[in-house]
Amino acid sequence: MDQETVRTICYLARLEIDENKSEKIQKDLETIIDLIGSLQTIDTSDVEPLYSPLEMTALMHEDIEKSDNKKEKFLENAAASNEDYFLVPRVVE
Amino acid sequence: MSIQFKSIADLREMLDDKSISASELIQESLELAKKYKELNCFVTMNEEFSVKKANAIDVNKKTSSRLSGIPLAQKDLFCTEGLRTTCSSKILSNFIPPYTATAVKKLEDAGSITIGKTNMDEFAMGSSNETSFFGNVHNPWKKGYVPGGSSGGSAAAVAAGIVPAATGTDTGGSIRQPAAHCGITGLKPTYGRISRWGMIAFASSLDQAGPLARTAEDCAILLNTMSGHDAKDTTSLNSNVPDFLENINQPIDGLKIGLIKEFNLSDLDSQVQARFEESKKAYEKLGAQFIEVSLPNISASVPTYYSIAPAECSSNLSRFDGVRFGHRAESTDDLNDLYIKSRSEGFGDEVKRRILIGTYALSAGYYDAYYKKAQQVRRLIKNDFDNAFQSVDALMTPTSPNTAFKFGSKGTQNPVELYLEDLFTISSNLAGLPAISIPHGQVNSLPVGLQLIGNFLREDQLLNAAHIFQKNSDYHLAKPNLGDF
Repeated sequence: MDQETVRTICYLARLEIDENKSEKIQKDLETIIDLIGSLQTIDTSDVEPLYSPLEMTALMHEDIEKSDNKKEKFLENAAASNEDYFLVPRVVE
Repeated sequence: MSIQFKSIADLREMLDDKSISASELIQESLELAKKYKELNCFVTMNEEFSVKKANAIDVNKKTSSRLSGIPLAQKDLFCTEGLRTTCSSKILSNFIPPYTATAVKKLEDAGSITIGKTNMDEFAMGSSNETSFFGNVHNPWKKGYVPGGSSGGSAAAVAAGIVPAATGTDTGGSIRQPAAHCGITGLKPTYGRISRWGMIAFASSLDQAGPLARTAEDCAILLNTMSGHDAKDTTSLNSNVPDFLENINQPIDGLKIGLIKEFNLSDLDSQVQARFEESKKAYEKLGAQFIEVSLPNISASVPTYYSIAPAECSSNLSRFDGVRFGHRAESTDDLNDLYIKSRSEGFGDEVKRRILIGTYALSAGYYDAYYKKAQQVRRLIKNDFDNAFQSVDALMTPTSPNTAFKFGSKGTQNPVELYLEDLFTISSNLAGLPAISIPHGQVNSLPVGLQLIGNFLREDQLLNAAHIFQKNSDYHLAKPNLGDF
């Protein structure tokens, strides 16, 4: 894994790494990728992936309307909001 | 009479025979939390509300529930309405949830009192509690030593006798390993047994809530209350919940316990090995039979986990963007910059490392090689368990290859060193199986844990086997000397 790959992954994950830590992070990631790369030696041809231990589909429930509006409480946790919306830096000029 | 180190069953008796009131009990529990502040078990206390609730219980004199008036601590990963919930992360250091997690709500509805929220590894990512934004938790058995993780604060609070029990969550061993390192009992139930609603997600297909307590009996009491179907969690199991407490006094004559051939215990510390042999003999004396079983793919559990868990974490933690909740960076250029700066300032190094690994494993060109491959191996591991449970009722391993270690002594140079701590615990999360850790002696004055892994939904069998062991031994009664704190 080179520095360029590390930069690309960081951008995809919307993370910035301190310059002085980037070499250590690169080394750590390589070590972990080596660890998970060891799975390549296991024969998994014709094995279905197991994405959840339950292997069940989500249960359906009746579509009943209910009112549980906690808008104010939810907005309180935002660093910036007005009465109705979360506020972010201007996106459209 | 002091309430310190008392079990739920003991405290129930004291409340019922009026040797203590709910208010006195809560006061004493809060005072113990203050006295042992240096352990750093708690991130946030819930003093005012606790005192009020205890007073109300004393006035109403209603003791219909076993848990009425019992002080508990909740891992700071369960959302609690109106009470700060941080996941021990800077990014959530000011988060006040608008609702309470189902598991906690059930415990509180049964009358228990949440005295505080416990310290943990940041977002439950760690095995030593050293990744917390709020600092290390000391192991009550030895100052400067880790309590294990990620539910380290919960385990330390119970081990120090501040509360009789606490909640935890277990994604790869986060209940069982700290329970082992702190000399208490911890149960990870079957995946889906307890609702995950209101738990801040780390790896959704592995996360499961469970109890940490002084005894298997107390774990049964908590499990009875925490279990059950919840329509708000689509992975919650809609299956019958037996009375776990009722089931715990059955003889274990003829119980078949499997020993996993692939775990070469002779590689372990000779004293950890010796404790294991002693417990095996104790179980034999109680009528259990041991059978060697082979799980050919179990050694692949650690790499499988460290592909799947980071992948799920990178997806789950994308919600922390500085917009709707949590830390928001100041002076940002645009929306993208706001995301990047808020996340980079808010997450610690281990969380970043795991998000990056997960992002890599899920990225175009690598998905099949890492993520899909790991999910295929996961099925092979689950199949191995299914085969093993054809011939045995439970499997037995040490909980952890080591005892608690010194702060900063593991994983700083190489993160994988710390990942290997989870060798014995991870596979039951991958397969969704229940597993329990019980204390079974000490090595160099530090506790060691014994793990029993059960078949799907067979917590009853695990709790029974653990209870019978505890009825015939006194390891679970050992208390740390807290003179240094």
